[in-house]
Amino acid sequence: MWETLKKCPRHLLVCEKSSFKSTNSRHSIHVQQHYFNYRVSVLIPECSALPQKIDSIIKDLGSYHLVKDVPLHKLVCEEFITTFLSKGSFYALSYSTRIDQDNAAALLPTGKLIISVDKDTYEELGLEGQSSRYSHKTPMRYVISMDLTASSFAPGGNRYKRVMWALAEKKPLKFDFLMAWNPSDDRRANLISYFSAYQLKEYQPSVAIKTLKDIECPVLQSSDLRATSAESCDAQEFFDWQGVVFNEIESENDSGNFLSTYCCPDPNIVVDQATLCTITGFILPEKIHLLLESLCHYFTEPKLTPWAVLAVHGFADSPVTWREDEHGFHKGGENLYSFVVFRNHDYWLQMAVGANDGCPP
Amino acid sequence: MAVFMDLSIQSVEKKKLESIIETAAHLGYSAVAVNHVANFEKETKKEIAKPLCHEELFEGALPIVQGTTKPVKIVTRLTIVASDPSHCTEMRTTSQRTKLYDVVSVFPKTEKLFHTACLNLDVDLICINVTEKQPFYFKRAAVNAAISRGIYFELVYTPAIRDSTMRRYTISNALALMQSCKGKNIIISSGAEKPLELRGPYDIANLGLLFGLSEAGAKAAVSTNCRAVILHGATRKTAFGVIYTMPRDEQEDKREATAPASKRSRTEAV
Repeated sequence: MWETLKKCPRHLLVCEKSSFKSTNSRHSIHVQQHYFNYRVSVLIPECSALPQKIDSIIKDLGSYHLVKDVPLHKLVCEEFITTFLSKGSFYALSYSTRIDQDNAAALLPTGKLIISVDKDTYEELGLEGQSSRYSHKTPMRYVISMDLTASSFAPGGNRYKRVMWALAEKKPLKFDFLMAWNPSDDRRANLISYFSAYQLKEYQPSVAIKTLKDIECPVLQSSDLRATSAESCDAQEFFDWQGVVFNEIESENDSGNFLSTYCCPDPNIVVDQATLCTITGFILPEKIHLLLESLCHYFTEPKLTPWAVLAVHGFADSPVTWREDEHGFHKGGENLYSFVVFRNHDYWLQMAVGANDGCPP
Repeated sequence: MAVFMDLSIQSVEKKKLESIIETAAHLGYSAVAVNHVANFEKETKKEIAKPLCHEELFEGALPIVQGTTKPVKIVTRLTIVASDPSHCTEMRTTSQRTKLYDVVSVFPKTEKLFHTACLNLDVDLICINVTEKQPFYFKRAAVNAAISRGIYFELVYTPAIRDSTMRRYTISNALALMQSCKGKNIIISSGAEKPLELRGPYDIANLGLLFGLSEAGAKAAVSTNCRAVILHGATRKTAFGVIYTMPRDEQEDKREATAPASKRSRTEAV
């Protein structure tokens, strides 16, 4: 029995390497398909201030809105679909709902509405869905997904009437939503006017920029993920080190420190200064893609540092991780990825998920 | 998964109870059960007290569960401590007082009562002793019979926080129970008398691992199984869990009384 006690809940880390110059590089697809992002961290060693291009992108991240008590049928009705879904990408995620206990909803930019409900709500709602993959003995959670832009969901059709009846009359579901809209043409004000009947507040992502002094940075070789020679660190050690730096944990391994006995992996070099920028909020994948591209362009001019890191965390209570893969919360709801961009335009992509999650694509 | 619940908060005086429930809501429990203990072990004829009305607590403004926008739910629970089934007739369905409680549980002190509770008694929970060495072994037949009837076994964790000897007994009794029931139908609850004795639901799920439950089973012991217990208690007020009665609104009665009783029209088809 003691053997089982030593194990911790299962978690998965997928590391892959590729190059931005390669034609079949899937970096943009990975970024685009991770729809709900909570935190983005950028670490650039040997740099005292953020490069001007990255700084300008960060200043122009766009705002997001928190709308309270929105009935779910408002996101399904014909007016909403024609006003927003056909004219850009609309992201909505239910706020203050825990994915392992309450009902949660998410609207993906592809036009799919995902509702994750508990057993009682599913039985009262009357819509067809599938039981969650992460049920213990009896299914206690069900996932209902519907494609709002599909032809079978045309307003006036049977499916549409059934969904509207279920969401408006049978079991009205209300959530607080975090919403962001990326219109394909320039009409930004519509979201505020459409939801004017509800309590709406606009937020900007919060940005914190810090310059770290005298930190130890691991030595990496872009071609060598597993560090077969002793001259570089392997991807897993580097991933752990990223966590230490982004959370500002002490890694000196002081004898008097009771909180952390972490040491930077060998081989490492001491860097005079590094810039750490943390952006927190409801951040769109399009903006993260711009950040990644500008980080890649950072290396077009010769720089001291051989690598820079962009790490993105997803929401712990989001119903989906990448694409429509179901996300569960066992004891931690982590779903994150990080790009390590090298000087020679190679990159490492590390994707990590927790216990109740499928393997990242 | 269902919401997290703590099914055993000791019924102490009002202010203390309010602070315990507030702490529970802050820790993430969406429902708590206030436990009234009736000790029939020594005295045979004792009145079971009426349950505390939870509208009196917090003057109606229940604390919000951390992480959501909903208030905490409070249910009432009765625990009967006894050593002989003949001691108390209160555990029958038709008893007046037990009907007022949402969840009824029994704390058997002898093997005979444990056996009777598993097979015959109309209870929702059987409490397992964690403060002393179990005087009897858990018979697999009785435990399986209880599981098939939908009865759950409860383990309390606050004695383990208070004293190290009790910690040993808690773990050894829990492991003995696991061997008989294979991790099914177990709930873990606090039995807290002070707010500081409560622990967060994920921590209790980790404690369940120590008791021998699986990862998913330990989390279910604090969520899904607790929900099942409350539903089992609710079915006691129904017929076979299918039909239930609701008190009719008094105003509707008055309205019906004022309308004149009209004769059925002869033109209606028979």
